[in-house]
Amino acid sequence: MAGETNDSWLVRHEFLLRRLHSLSGLIPVGAFMIVHLLTNSSVQNGPGAFQKNVYLIHSLDALLPLVEWVFIFIPIFFHGIFGIVIIAGGLPNTSSYPNASNIRYVLQRVTGVLAFLFIVWHVFHMHGWIHADWWIDGVAKNLGGAQFKPYNAASTAGLALQSFVVIVAYVVGVLACVFHLANGIWTMGITWGAWTSPAAQRRANAVCTVFGVGLAVIGLAALQGMWAQGRGEALEEAIRIEDQQYNAAVQAGILKPNEEKRAQPSEAEPGREASVDQASARSPR
Amino acid sequence: MISRSKTSPEHVEVRVLRQAAPQQRSYWERFRVAYEPDMNVISVLQRIAARPRTADGQDVTPVAWDCNCLEEVCGACTMVVNGRVRQSCSALVDRLLEENPAEIELRPMTKFPVLRDLMVDRSRLFRALEKVKAWVPVDSYHDMGAGPRQSPEAQQESYPYSQCMSCGCCLDACPQYRKIELIQRDDETDEQFAARQAATYDRNFVGPHAIAQAILFNQNPTGQMNADERVEALTAPGGVQVCGNAQNCVSVCPKEIPLTTAIAQAGRAATVHSIKRWFDR
Repeated sequence: MAGETNDSWLVRHEFLLRRLHSLSGLIPVGAFMIVHLLTNSSVQNGPGAFQKNVYLIHSLDALLPLVEWVFIFIPIFFHGIFGIVIIAGGLPNTSSYPNASNIRYVLQRVTGVLAFLFIVWHVFHMHGWIHADWWIDGVAKNLGGAQFKPYNAASTAGLALQSFVVIVAYVVGVLACVFHLANGIWTMGITWGAWTSPAAQRRANAVCTVFGVGLAVIGLAALQGMWAQGRGEALEEAIRIEDQQYNAAVQAGILKPNEEKRAQPSEAEPGREASVDQASARSPR
Repeated sequence: MISRSKTSPEHVEVRVLRQAAPQQRSYWERFRVAYEPDMNVISVLQRIAARPRTADGQDVTPVAWDCNCLEEVCGACTMVVNGRVRQSCSALVDRLLEENPAEIELRPMTKFPVLRDLMVDRSRLFRALEKVKAWVPVDSYHDMGAGPRQSPEAQQESYPYSQCMSCGCCLDACPQYRKIELIQRDDETDEQFAARQAATYDRNFVGPHAIAQAILFNQNPTGQMNADERVEALTAPGGVQVCGNAQNCVSVCPKEIPLTTAIAQAGRAATVHSIKRWFDR
């Protein structure tokens, strides 16, 4: 068969790739997003509660980059790039057939692209993509990136969200991600054969809708909580609590001092560099 | 609704997307047909064929179309009527004028190569049925006797799938099913061209109709004996995995076949099949 030998690798492994794409959307990408939004929404309990969770994540220490690459970055890149291949293979026709599921077919693709662009920018905006000094100080910061400091978690995240354009981008981005996951779980159930009959698919759709609305509320609560920590008295209080936690953790010997993970004096609030916390941080014992 | 007068219109305006031959440019032509009660699109096309003159008085070739049974069981007269794919025999003019009193718009199906005007080449649709082995192999030198008995419940479940008339509505409305139109090369024999065409069709989406037929024959007690071959075909390139869950197929199917149920059942069979193959090899 001439056709078979000429088929590209992408065509020959189409079934496996599509199923991996479907699976990776839930595990690990979707699962990570749920954990991420839940963790961030803990800021509603105050900056200290969120900071505690960040320390828990950062307790992975040297393993953190490995975990991030294996369970977050590589799956997101695979899901996003193969998703674009899938989008390229379709021809939307909602103007002729405006059925609800056909509209969701288009929305799934639109939110997928929005979510991918948002995530790439979000990682730049908060983390600056690459942790090299020349890049962070020379490029990323000049372009408004690398604003998040894990050891001043809520205050730096809150400060980064103060611009109107940025907060709108985050609201749109988070909602796109949530819709894409909730609707993706519904289509995944059909793809893998979990819900087959129209009645079962309707029930699953209702469950996915409730899940999506719930996750959207959690995501927006996280955003509102972070934003509120980045302004006025709340900001000063957040920085005070974070610095207190840092110093206590360092003094207790449960945290290695790391100035790079803290807000730098120049970008923190005035008076910050004069605080005694800084001095004690540099000489932990 | 108030604008709809009790007196019937004198004329029906019909706009047809025409094309002289494969690969040629398509163009719109407008016709005016005297209204008669209880017309369907076929009878409108018959009136145009009887007197092929456009609305602005130009004599043209008659519009070509396919039809056969005239009772919505053969699928031959499928075309895009007022933007929606359906059988033209069951497309009643009075209903269409309720949708749009100004005109009736006729286009050939959008996913198949146009042969002429409203006639298309649907051979890819039948190639997909071959790919998934949508039949029960009973040919033998010996009398194999009666097949296994089927419970009434199983019959009830299979019956809707058996109503498929291979019209292609599901394919035309599917955003994942893309048109393939190949041209025979000068150095190619008819057999070589047919082989190239079959290979191209095979690596592209089989479509909901073929998935439903594979499920129908996998549910059949005798057909079950070849179930693995069909699931294998459904997981090959262009298989069930290409489905994007837009679910247009089920909403346009004139026979109301539960195509999305078949797709999910095929998905489940593919899941079980691939896990089994992974551990059994």
